[in-house]
Amino acid sequence: MITELMRQEIDEILARYPAGRQRSGILPALYVIQREYGYCPVQAQDELADILGIAPAEVGAVVGFYTMLHEQPKAEYHIEVCTNVPCMLRGGKQCLHDFENALGIHHGEKTADDQFALDHMECLGSCGTAPMAAITDQKTGQIRYFENLDSAEDIEKVITLLKSGNGFRSLERWTPQADPNSEGAADGPYRTGGMEPRYLMARLNQRDSHKIDTYEADGGYETARRVLSEVAPADMVDQIKASGIRGRGGAGFPTGVKWGFLPQGVYPRYLVVNADESEPGTFKDRIVMEYDPHQLLEGIILSCHAIESEKAFIYIRGEYYFAYVRLQEAIAEATAKGYLGDNIFGSGKKLDLVLHRGAGAYECGEETAQLSSLEGYRGQPRLKPPFPAVEGLYAKPTIVNNVESICNVTHVMRYGVDWYKQFGAERSPGMRIFCLSGNVKRPGLYELPHATPLNELVYEYGGGPEDDNHEIKAIVPGGLSMKLLTPDQFDTPLDFESVAAAGSLLGSAGVIAIDARTTMVEVARRTLSFYREESCGKCTPCREGTAWLEKILLRIEEGQGLGRDLELMEYIAQNIAGKSFCPFGEASVWGLQSNLLKFRSEFTAQVERANPDEVGPVLPIRPAYRPNTHEPSGLRASAFAPTGETIVLHDDLATGDD
Amino acid sequence: MTENVTLTINEKEVSLPSGILLVDAARMVDVEIPVFCSHPKLDPVGCCRMCLVEVDGPRGTAMLASCTLPVSEGMVVRTNTEQVRTVQEANLGFILLNHPLDCPICDKGGECPLQDQTMRFGPGISQLIEPKRLAKKHYDISDTIVLDQERCVLCWRCIRYLEEWEDKPQLGLFERGNETIVDIQDGRPVDAKTSGNIIDLCPVGALTNRVARFAFRPWEIDRTPSICIHCSIGCNVRLDSRTHQLRRIVGRENMQVNDQWICDKGRFAHAWVNDETRLTAPLLRKNGKLTPVQWSEALAYIAAKLTSIKEQHGADAIGAIGSGKVSNESNYALQRLFRGIVGTNNIDHRDGGDVAALPAGLPALADLMKPQYGPDPQVDTIFLFGVDPSEELPVLDLHLKRAVHRGGVKLIIAHPRKIELTRYNGPYLPYEPGAEATLLNRLAQAATDAGAEPEQKEVGTPPVDALTEQSKLPPCADAAVAAATLLLEAHRPLIIYGPMAARGQDGHSVYDGLTNLALATGNRAQLAYVGLDGNAQGCRDMGVLPHRLPGHLPLDDAAARARLEKLWNCTLSNRPGRTYKQMLDVGALAALFVMGANPADEHPDWATNLDTLDLLVVFELLLTETAQKADVVLPAFGWAESDGTFTNLERRVQRAPKAISNPKSRSAPDWMILAHLAQQLGVDWSFPDTQSVTAEITQAVPVYAGLTWDALGDQGRQWDARTLESEERGEREERNTHSHALSFPALGNARRTEEERGERNTHSHSSHSDSNYPLSLVTGTVLYDGGTLFRLTEQMQAMAHGASVSLSPTDAAAIGVEAGDAVTVQSEQGALDLSVAVDAQVQPGTAWIPESLPGAPVGALLNGSGAQRVKVERK
Repeated sequence: MITELMRQEIDEILARYPAGRQRSGILPALYVIQREYGYCPVQAQDELADILGIAPAEVGAVVGFYTMLHEQPKAEYHIEVCTNVPCMLRGGKQCLHDFENALGIHHGEKTADDQFALDHMECLGSCGTAPMAAITDQKTGQIRYFENLDSAEDIEKVITLLKSGNGFRSLERWTPQADPNSEGAADGPYRTGGMEPRYLMARLNQRDSHKIDTYEADGGYETARRVLSEVAPADMVDQIKASGIRGRGGAGFPTGVKWGFLPQGVYPRYLVVNADESEPGTFKDRIVMEYDPHQLLEGIILSCHAIESEKAFIYIRGEYYFAYVRLQEAIAEATAKGYLGDNIFGSGKKLDLVLHRGAGAYECGEETAQLSSLEGYRGQPRLKPPFPAVEGLYAKPTIVNNVESICNVTHVMRYGVDWYKQFGAERSPGMRIFCLSGNVKRPGLYELPHATPLNELVYEYGGGPEDDNHEIKAIVPGGLSMKLLTPDQFDTPLDFESVAAAGSLLGSAGVIAIDARTTMVEVARRTLSFYREESCGKCTPCREGTAWLEKILLRIEEGQGLGRDLELMEYIAQNIAGKSFCPFGEASVWGLQSNLLKFRSEFTAQVERANPDEVGPVLPIRPAYRPNTHEPSGLRASAFAPTGETIVLHDDLATGDD
Repeated sequence: MTENVTLTINEKEVSLPSGILLVDAARMVDVEIPVFCSHPKLDPVGCCRMCLVEVDGPRGTAMLASCTLPVSEGMVVRTNTEQVRTVQEANLGFILLNHPLDCPICDKGGECPLQDQTMRFGPGISQLIEPKRLAKKHYDISDTIVLDQERCVLCWRCIRYLEEWEDKPQLGLFERGNETIVDIQDGRPVDAKTSGNIIDLCPVGALTNRVARFAFRPWEIDRTPSICIHCSIGCNVRLDSRTHQLRRIVGRENMQVNDQWICDKGRFAHAWVNDETRLTAPLLRKNGKLTPVQWSEALAYIAAKLTSIKEQHGADAIGAIGSGKVSNESNYALQRLFRGIVGTNNIDHRDGGDVAALPAGLPALADLMKPQYGPDPQVDTIFLFGVDPSEELPVLDLHLKRAVHRGGVKLIIAHPRKIELTRYNGPYLPYEPGAEATLLNRLAQAATDAGAEPEQKEVGTPPVDALTEQSKLPPCADAAVAAATLLLEAHRPLIIYGPMAARGQDGHSVYDGLTNLALATGNRAQLAYVGLDGNAQGCRDMGVLPHRLPGHLPLDDAAARARLEKLWNCTLSNRPGRTYKQMLDVGALAALFVMGANPADEHPDWATNLDTLDLLVVFELLLTETAQKADVVLPAFGWAESDGTFTNLERRVQRAPKAISNPKSRSAPDWMILAHLAQQLGVDWSFPDTQSVTAEITQAVPVYAGLTWDALGDQGRQWDARTLESEERGEREERNTHSHALSFPALGNARRTEEERGERNTHSHSSHSDSNYPLSLVTGTVLYDGGTLFRLTEQMQAMAHGASVSLSPTDAAAIGVEAGDAVTVQSEQGALDLSVAVDAQVQPGTAWIPESLPGAPVGALLNGSGAQRVKVERK
């Protein structure tokens, strides 16, 4: 099934990875197969296993793990509507319904002519432009984001556009505002703002901001050129340590300290840039990669100089197709100019940068899981120790840093440590891109120094509640995982220490505002739907617990909640938090825990209103397991025969033993 | 040695080796921590979260997984607090959440860690009121293993076993999150040869034994520690039986032999034990038909007939064939009867006197396991010559893989097929059967060249053997240099060869070649011969050889003879007897006793020759092709039905106690039948039980001194090879100064041998240029053959090697055949109708037909030597 032409393309992909590590190319190779067939047929998987020299089951296991790889054909256009919390707060559910109505199918189905398939999705990283849908063109494998889909008319426009064949004229995001006549025109960067001047987001709105010429015209690559010739790696590590940059991915670990963990004299070393931005409410790395990719590349060149790495990887989330294309172009430009490759800036230093696309797995944002995924395995976390800095990618010393952290490196090296430290707080220095979404008037990205008070962000920059009649009752300060803050805490300064003191965490700085129109039961249920969907399945508490919690919350939502469910949920959450394998499992219940604590009355009210008599759910009768299921049960022919309709046995239960 | 650290577990200070995992440490001080994913033989993964315990750290007390945490100095651990108990309850609640709780019909019920832990650590109630998750139940992931995804708790043990031990990741986790399941890739059933071990490893009833399915309940079975006799590893097993039936076989730990693993043939292929076609009464040929008779009638008939034949034709017209499939006791009794009472040395077994074997087997299996368990590897380079462990000795295959990828051992392989172990990219040296010695000499030459100083090189050392010039260089010159270099660089090389490489006339030169190679590599290489049958080693030890007394002593060793004569109260002949092949090839015998062998199925000529005997007595389990030709068939016990000892390929003598009995059968152990026959012949052996035979063996076989039934215990004991080695060395020196005519290994009639050799040389000379027969025939053993002991297990029939000839892709294309085509394979000796299989393992220029295929005795094509040329034609 893998044709000669596909084989050539796959071989080129595999050649990007170090010798003997060709398995790393499994995801891009599967994308080639999927583009060809619309899914990953088992036979092609087996052939790929042969090419990679691994067992067929290993390929199958990978395909099954990633949501963007399909085991069954989808349609010509695969429409995925985001229904996760930030989108939900702005009508994501209505958007999905509108698509269902427009296409005449339920989500999870496809149209009879195989033109459209509709699914719902958990967070696609465009929380500031919700509601939205990501649409995949099967022929090319390209993905385009369709955003601000506020009404049924907008959705009609999307479908008309797709049917006209012009839907993928550009890969840049589409909005009804930018393309009123459904011709496929692109919209530019979404709303940004904040302090003046800005650094991380200074260039986004310039014309051709993504091109190397404009970047260099703005002084780009000068820092890298200078540092590579003037600053010794060890000195640069010291400067980054002194600057106090803290990781922007979520955990806030000091970047320079992390670099200092690299064992002396062990090479090769790798830099892996974590561009798998997947935490609901977070959409900052996306805009940098789409509109200022060279800022990131310069940061990578600098960071690799500091940690003495000659090979770096950008692990970008699979859905960020436009950012992927922009990065590809940027890498080509930089390579052509000699800023990447065998002799960067003529310094004699080498840097090979590989852009690696994920395939839809939140867990791959966890650093060890990301390394597993990059090595070509299921994206499941590994044991620590050994920590990646000691034994990471291919068991070599590896630094995993977030996109925004790397961008900060450029500015620290450009303007100096003292300059950097004048921003923010003592232990959270520097500026930060805050992602504001949910029920505010002006959702978007705001670059502000750390320790800017939360209400300043939400009310001054964000314009306050979306609807003035409905107050904001809760705010998630650092991505959906983090604990909720209530109005009495809205004056919390947004730095790592202050938010932690308020009982939550700053995380990825994804700030989600929730107003009174939304019930907290729904927020909790959506949150758990996300973690159930995205649990990697490795450890018991997260795998079983999140699904159980979702089932209970669904039941409460549907009016069959019981009073004791609240204690039960607390019990389950307690036994996930701190018991799971990786920090993501633990974080899956923080939101719920704080929700139950702070908005308990909403849960109780829902249970009491909808199910005052506490009637338990009706359980389906579970078919009896008999070893000889070929033969009918004697009971059926007797007086004990079940009345009414014949009980239909579940398909796979009815197949008997040999 | 690792140092100890002091830590506190449950307020008690203990001192334990540093670096071990906390979960193991706790076990060592009798503190139980429940686990599912953790297993002492598998790498830690930490996924089930059952083993969380309280550990005090710099940032306060944390709940940490004890299965991934190495112990360290001053560690304070608590496993019995309220918090730990709460977490254990909750985690078991999670694990049981979607478990179907179908224990009443689950084979694991009663021996299920999940059940046990639920009783001990579980919450006692279920709080789930939603419907459980459904998944695939009871579906076959191979012909022998059934998977139930609903019962699975995703501990990864099966996946890790196949990855870490088999190096064949055929099972994987599929889907994600709550939907995660263990599965095979669609259409790719598990076929690893030791896959059944995942059933033993599974801590729940997710993986069950398809052969033993619903045939037992753990609380109703009797468990007998025993060993497996399918091959010469002698894996330790446990036989589970009930109501006189063998219900199931599971692995039993023996860290000197099989770790705790067994292969799938050993685990699943046991239906023959209780097969209804088993012989239950003695059969005597009356009016041309085998008729059930009383034991007394059968034995009296044999005794009378034997006496008259001996009077008429002499003792040397009588011969006996023993077997590597039956116990030491029975083999010992057989040779004692024929040496001591009949008075002949015509006594041998398959792969006995016809093979140039070494007497002591492998130094120790543990040496090959050491790289993974100990800091002191005994072997760093292994040269496999004419052995395919994957098909012949699957657990050795497992040990070798582990030695390679965990212990860094280098593998060199010489084999006519590119066997599975060549995937580790060690030097591979293909050869055609018959060219073994040439290859070895070339290797020795390469070693001498590589090892010699440059100036010496120029002078040039004369070829070690004249054979070097005989034939063209095999297409592996680079590999030969690489192999020789590896052997030279090795600190502790081990050369293992099997019967396939050393059969027949060529055996001598192969043996010489191997000795020379060992010499050329500085004489550090240990040289080991491994037999393949379960008791191949024991057979030799017992003296079931035409040229050897018990204990490998030469026939002309007067002292040895005198000792045995005294013990047996008889006079012994020192005339070398005929080998297995010689006894069957020529119709010179008048009477033949066959115990546990089936020569009629090996070679059509032999089947014909058996018809010409005046007396053929067969001791058998089933009415084999040979038994059907017999005058008397004596029903014998199988290994599970009587006590017996077996000696594995590393000289480990192990017990196989009686596990079952069949009250309806009148069969008896072979040694007992022989004792009764001796009595009929006027000699009273007075063996009241197996143990008394074992006791006599310890007297008759010097190397077995002290190895009584009780002394062997459940793990067996190795006999000491050192005494024999010194003797062997002496003999080798003798051999080097004299010529081939010496008695090692004596092949009977010298004149005949010369004739044969002459014939063979002319023949091989002409056949190489003979375009009529373009392919060289390769035969050998496969694990799933058509042998009686395998094919009676119905569930495994689809796994059996078909009646096919395997060709390399190039040859298949050249001949114009495809897989599945019907062809005739023809040699100068005969022809066979087979189907074609195309196999990249098969080397161009060769055709591969395994032995023991149903309806395809490859012997039909053989002229008696290892080398034979054939042609393949479409039918």
